[in-house]
Amino acid sequence: MKVGLEVHQQLATAKLFCRCPSELTDRTDASFVRSLRPAGGEERTVDAAATFQASRGLAYRYESGPSNCLVESDEEPPRPINDEALDVALTVALLLRARPVDEIQVMRKIVVDGSNTTGFQRTALVAVDGVLEVGGRRHEVLSVCLEEDAARRVGGGEPEVAYRLDRLGIPLVEVATGPTIASGAEAREVAQEIGALLRATRRVRRGIGTVREDLNVSADGGHRVEIKGVQELRKIGEYVDREEARQRLLLEIRGELERRGARAEPEAVEVAGELADAGDGPIASALRHGGTVLALRLPGFAGLLGPRPGTDERFGRELAEQARAAGLGGIVHSDELPAYGLTDEHVRRLRARLGSADADAFVLVADRSPDRARRAFAHVAARAAHARVGVPGETRDPLPDGRSRYSRPLPGRDRMYPETDVPPVPVTAARLARLEQALPERPGATLARLEREHRLAAELARQIVYGGEVDRFEELTARGHAGPLVARLLIQELPAVAVPAGAPAFDPPLATLDRLLAAVGSGAIAKEGLAPVLAALARGAPEVDAAIRDAGLGARPPRSWRRSWSASSAGSSRSCAPAGRRRSRR
Amino acid sequence: MASRGSDDPWDRLRELPLGQKVEITDERGVRWSGTVIPPHELSGDRILTLKLSSGYNVGVRVGPATTYRLHEGAPPRAPARSSPSPSDRRAAGGVELLTTGGTIASRVDYETGGVRPVGDEAEILAFYPELAHAGSVRITPVLDRLSENLTPADWSRLAEKVVEAFGRGATGVVIAHGTDTLGFTAAGLSFLLADLPGPVVLVGAQRSPDRPSSDGPSNLRAAVEVARDRRLGEVVVVMHAGLSDDRFAIHRGTWVRKMHSSRRDAFRSRNGPPLGTFDGRSVELGPSVRPPAAGPARVEGPLDPSAGLLWSYPGLSAERAATFVDGLRGVVLAGTGLGHVAHDHLGWIRSATDRGVVVAMTTQCLEGTVDPYVYATGRELLRSGVTFLDDLLPETAYAKLLWALGRGRDPAEVRTLLLRDRAGEFRRRRGLEDPP
Repeated sequence: MKVGLEVHQQLATAKLFCRCPSELTDRTDASFVRSLRPAGGEERTVDAAATFQASRGLAYRYESGPSNCLVESDEEPPRPINDEALDVALTVALLLRARPVDEIQVMRKIVVDGSNTTGFQRTALVAVDGVLEVGGRRHEVLSVCLEEDAARRVGGGEPEVAYRLDRLGIPLVEVATGPTIASGAEAREVAQEIGALLRATRRVRRGIGTVREDLNVSADGGHRVEIKGVQELRKIGEYVDREEARQRLLLEIRGELERRGARAEPEAVEVAGELADAGDGPIASALRHGGTVLALRLPGFAGLLGPRPGTDERFGRELAEQARAAGLGGIVHSDELPAYGLTDEHVRRLRARLGSADADAFVLVADRSPDRARRAFAHVAARAAHARVGVPGETRDPLPDGRSRYSRPLPGRDRMYPETDVPPVPVTAARLARLEQALPERPGATLARLEREHRLAAELARQIVYGGEVDRFEELTARGHAGPLVARLLIQELPAVAVPAGAPAFDPPLATLDRLLAAVGSGAIAKEGLAPVLAALARGAPEVDAAIRDAGLGARPPRSWRRSWSASSAGSSRSCAPAGRRRSRR
Repeated sequence: MASRGSDDPWDRLRELPLGQKVEITDERGVRWSGTVIPPHELSGDRILTLKLSSGYNVGVRVGPATTYRLHEGAPPRAPARSSPSPSDRRAAGGVELLTTGGTIASRVDYETGGVRPVGDEAEILAFYPELAHAGSVRITPVLDRLSENLTPADWSRLAEKVVEAFGRGATGVVIAHGTDTLGFTAAGLSFLLADLPGPVVLVGAQRSPDRPSSDGPSNLRAAVEVARDRRLGEVVVVMHAGLSDDRFAIHRGTWVRKMHSSRRDAFRSRNGPPLGTFDGRSVELGPSVRPPAAGPARVEGPLDPSAGLLWSYPGLSAERAATFVDGLRGVVLAGTGLGHVAHDHLGWIRSATDRGVVVAMTTQCLEGTVDPYVYATGRELLRSGVTFLDDLLPETAYAKLLWALGRGRDPAEVRTLLLRDRAGEFRRRRGLEDPP
């Protein structure tokens, strides 16, 4: 297997092509509706991915707020590239021992899913040819790019998708590795190393969604597939491994089809007549609303669409994803029948109509809009035909359960053309010398220093550096708190604080942590008291002393606050204090 | 593979044809492999611009120690042009589209890095394939210039082309035009054209059509729909009414002004609401619309270009203003407030009007009317022979003055023509609604 990573990190500077703050917000001051259409690049050819999106004919609603100006609305030309953000990108390049380009030229990368008001993402190649050593292996860094983040999708579907513009234009540094990673576990380690290196600049944004990874995975004999926008670092290994399993299944199916000499028949057969009396289900629903049912004949495919031994990947899912991407709910295939309101009698009629034997399979594409059904059928049929070729190159969206879902064809190079509104930027020797002088410490050096200066155990120091806690660790130890205690608080205690499902992670301000550590230092509470006190804070205790009292480790809290706390904790489904402790407080 | 660097590799590399594949090893030893493409206009010295296989463009500095290898067999790419044949859209009785250049008919020029107008019908159709399906739309290229380069002589030429189009049986005419001076041209055509049997719709784009977000396609479609409307017999401008792609304003050609340098809804009617709107489905028209005439359409010219437009400002000396007016037959002043200039300008104004130069007053406030009776300055200007043009925009007044000078036999007749409503340009009444 070959795996390459692209790590995208938001920077904590102003936006890349305007002076708006790089802050997310829920406030909306204005909204407007646009449509996009593909436009030719230098060669005036239209990219396949771009055409695919445009063929869906969606309208996009954009919400603009305090983090926006006319630039994000595509109502004003971009300003020259943000120098501060470029400095950070160049610093990352230098940390990776990459070679900066002599003159940076901003490009337009066509993206017509609506996530950019312009229909393209502005991106620039900043440096090439870097190296990264992880666990004794050298990985090549192909490129360091500086690009603008896209708008946030906040809702909608067909025919209108809603985006908020606050995120649009936030600078992203993109670090892309070569396909030198060989396993899911290694992919995760490399991502961690790159993350630590980016944070070493101290100019990156923190929190969920501020780092996103694209995983390029190609199983042996397979094809490059891009899983785009993974936000949870710890799941990288799982996405990689499951993608490998998916590609292996597709290769196995290809082999089986070859042996059987099986091939999809691309013509649609209208079978509404055979299914007019279908019971409740997608078929009946489509027909009731004046729709149609199209059958795809798959001679020799029987048994290959449903579950297969040794994997929970399924080929039928691949076909369903194509239908979904074309706006349908899914498909029905013969390996799963009778079901969905279709009986053995329906199957018999269908087989008779399609001239299909037991060794053959078929797929039904049904929709209330005959037009949409025909469009979806074309995608499903093309995907089925590709089963004989193997793994299609495509872009996939990560799903929360570690799987991924087809989103669109892989983009080609045609989607890049020059952003003529932004002047090129020379990278001068003087600028590089200045950045080289101020180069931050590399993660490996920080690790060694933390171990030495604070007598931290190696594993604890590792977790501080790769868990993104160096800043807080250094600020708190600078205030006189013992390193091992600070590390325990940041690495063990804080992440263990439970919060209600869906609530943001518990993230108290630094001053609170400072007071908490002072309480341990002064002997007011023991180290073991950190957990219950943090739990009390997470439930809403207003400050550390009150939380200590609430945890049963000090005097009782004042009556007024106890009431409000009780009210809020009663509504919390996953309360974090152990039940015994709660009882003892009362 | 061929050739290594001679004395200075830049001498050879700068001459490489576009599309040449080359591998360059720069002075740091970094190897760059890509296709030579034109540099950005603002690229630095000794920078060779390459498109890498990733699609990114980079600038590579070529020093004396840079080495390179040329790859053979790489023919420069010619841009592919495919276009439907124009002949099947020539049916009479439809809409005729005149193109003049401008952003709506421009594309990124990879020679210069800037935006350049497209000239021919095939290129227009390549950008707006929907036109081929929009029923009978005939395309006639007239000019291919950005609108800052147009002159009043071009307005006259366009007016002739409009008359020819109606003469061929068109029921409406659309003019694709750059937005910078679109308001001027709209005003000029409003005065030049008479007895219009259908709408003349000027349309532009604030984003070039090579961008997926261009407002060109939706503006053009709206313009074609408005040009099909049988209730309209005047010169109008159709552009975005707001930031959304689904609402368009129909402005009278004499009321409209570009009020923003970049927004899609830059065009606004002054002193009141626009004539109407198009919401993607139907055209809504207000009460003040001028209905079609029986025809045939005529050009009532000529324009006399010997007039000017002068913006008054603190510090503008009377001498400089007098020099500006020297040799002109008329001048429009964009005065302050209700239509004022500094007191010491009365001298040159008086001597100009005495010589028969027509001096007309408008307000640089752009909203509201001029009024000579409120302040002493106004009364003195009036006594000095200045013609006050009520609520005309300075640009509209300028276009009207060119027309009036071309038509009037003496200054008195020019002044009469200026004050007489010609194309619905005077609002006369201004409502209480906020300026758009």
